[in-house]
Amino acid sequence: MTDKNETVIALLGQPNSGKSTLFNALTGLRQHVGNWPGKTVEKKEGTFKHNGTDYLVADLPGTYSLSANSDEEMITRDYIASGKADVVCILADSSQLERSLYMLADFAGVTVPCFLVLNMSDVAAEQGKNIKVKELEKKLGIPVILISATDTKAYDRFYQALELAVKGKTVLDPGALEKRYEEIGAYGKVRQIIPDGVIPGYSKTWLAAKAIEKDEPVIAKITEKLSAGDKKLLQSALSEVDKGVVLTGERKFAWIDEFLSGIVEKKKTQISLGKFDRIITHRVWGKPVVILTVLLGLVASFIPALPLMGIGQLIGKIPDPLNEALLNIGCPAFIAALLCDVLIRSLSFIVQMLGFVFGVTLVFGLLEEVGVMARISYVFDNTMAKFGLQGKSVMPFLISFGCTMGGAAGTRVIDSWGQKVLTIALAWAVPCGAAWAVIPMLSTIFFGAWMPVIILVILLVMLLHMWITAKIFGRSLVKKEDRYGMIMELPPYHKPKWGALFRYVFGRTKDTFIRALKVVVVVALAFWLLSYTSTGDITNSILYKVGHFIEPVTKIFGMGWQTFMAFIASSLGKEGALGVLSTIFTGSGTISVGALVSGARAENINEILVNNIAKPEALAFIFAMTFNMPCIVALAATYQETHSVKWTARIALYYTGMALVLAGIAYYIGLLIW
Amino acid sequence: MKKLSELEKDAEGVITSINGDRRFISRVTSIGLTPGCMVRIIKNEKNRPLLVYSRDTMIALNRKECNLIEVDGGARA
Repeated sequence: MTDKNETVIALLGQPNSGKSTLFNALTGLRQHVGNWPGKTVEKKEGTFKHNGTDYLVADLPGTYSLSANSDEEMITRDYIASGKADVVCILADSSQLERSLYMLADFAGVTVPCFLVLNMSDVAAEQGKNIKVKELEKKLGIPVILISATDTKAYDRFYQALELAVKGKTVLDPGALEKRYEEIGAYGKVRQIIPDGVIPGYSKTWLAAKAIEKDEPVIAKITEKLSAGDKKLLQSALSEVDKGVVLTGERKFAWIDEFLSGIVEKKKTQISLGKFDRIITHRVWGKPVVILTVLLGLVASFIPALPLMGIGQLIGKIPDPLNEALLNIGCPAFIAALLCDVLIRSLSFIVQMLGFVFGVTLVFGLLEEVGVMARISYVFDNTMAKFGLQGKSVMPFLISFGCTMGGAAGTRVIDSWGQKVLTIALAWAVPCGAAWAVIPMLSTIFFGAWMPVIILVILLVMLLHMWITAKIFGRSLVKKEDRYGMIMELPPYHKPKWGALFRYVFGRTKDTFIRALKVVVVVALAFWLLSYTSTGDITNSILYKVGHFIEPVTKIFGMGWQTFMAFIASSLGKEGALGVLSTIFTGSGTISVGALVSGARAENINEILVNNIAKPEALAFIFAMTFNMPCIVALAATYQETHSVKWTARIALYYTGMALVLAGIAYYIGLLIW
Repeated sequence: MKKLSELEKDAEGVITSINGDRRFISRVTSIGLTPGCMVRIIKNEKNRPLLVYSRDTMIALNRKECNLIEVDGGARA
């Protein structure tokens, strides 16, 4: 029970048990996403009301068991021990009942009321399985329901089971499982030694089984409460145990088999890979098919994205006439410019990008839910393992060729926070669509027929950059002990729940919008103030003065104050890099987000650039701009996904520094050539 | 007795032992692989995780770590 008198439900289930679908369907837009205190694991909570009762749903991290192997598992255990949850809803996949009930077996011995949801009934039915739910309920002594989270009618049964579990305080009886544990010689001895009240919510049965599994936090907790003599007894009892996890594991599955016997009727089915699986897991065709799938997904993302992009562009048309109208009614130019140039143009910029975030979240969320993402992970496991990442990370990288913000949004399907942050950090190195619009043009202006070579070098530098970045950030983000190889289930394909998916996508897009708006307005305002001049002469701006002052430093990296200013501006958005150069060299107007988005440039821009910038400097600028921070919206999206100011700032500063270093190298190589 | 990774495509075997550190054993157990359980190899190709089928579940396993799982049998079904 919370202090707001909400009944707390904790959702517990293995990955792919349909936990997120259930969570989204229950809570809709009333969700809050943050981090568990002091931990780098995403915390999702949501609320809903049913029959006059308020409920708070805590979506516990998706874990395979309740052991102490990861932060996720520790958080789950501590949450249950904290007594916050009034009831635990345990999820299992009814198409793979035996295996996915491991979580229930691992939960047996916890004294918090619970009920069991057998999800994916549609997949089980398709496989010809018939599950006798009522009999299972009798055997386990807790409410059990069989649902398909995609079926809206199923929720009535969910609410009934929930109310029954809360009112009846239905606790899972571990008696039959304990009888099996007793076959392990040391179990009885260990259980005898355990004093009362070691960890609230966990019975002696559970604690003894975990001690047999050599679960260090549990053993430490027990030891704390023991006399010196008992400590020795515990140690000697545990020293007889070899591979305790195997011993208890075998017994957990034996218990599951026992209570499942006579419950599941199934027709004998032939196990084989489906047509799509045969292609996607193919040694030769697998990778091309994955890349094609992601690219098609990218294209599909544009379909829902287009209306929002259109709206964004329409908003972008407001400032000019509005500015004029405001000046006509005697509004101070400064305020008019602030409103039009900073606020409305920022809004236009974000809304355009937001369409893409919406599309990517929808399409790739769909691929995840249907089960395609797990296959992508399988195909790219070996390649991505070189970066310390899981196979799924290949998808955000590919999306980032289009838009880094979309790539960041795409990392939502990565279940480990550290790997998610590392994936975003590496995705920043991938030049986005806006950069690709500028790179070939600048390269052609300065280097003519050498343009393809420049692009090839940029792609090679990108790979090198990613490799170095993985080395630098990987150590702290993905700990060595977390880098074990793939042990993953390839879930059966299942139909998506559109309603829940859309609500989830809307919720995430709204969050991104709010966060992005804050960041973009602040940065755009700061930049606008720095470049503001009352006379229209750029040399009066603070930006010019600072740029001029630090030019001796920027020269080290091969850039004069003009190109350096354009480099700084390109961290807001790369599509405007040419516009900014044009503005500076023609000495007209201020540099604003507006100028960046519209990318207005002088007619004779090519001539101006070639006359003012030497080839080595141009090369330095191309590299600096390409590997600079992708844009402010990507920065905001990174913050949104990582929930960490520290890591967002760290990545941003690292990229600015790295871009300068690369620019410097390009410059000196350029000096050698020309 | 063979290592799981030595089994060919479509072969079936019964797991006899799982070695490695506690973390690895714990992960493998929680995904349903325990001694006595039947596994069938769906795919076993170089440079790819092994695909096995066990307890109604398709599981992808890192090749190197498959050496830690030993099986009996291994005849093609």
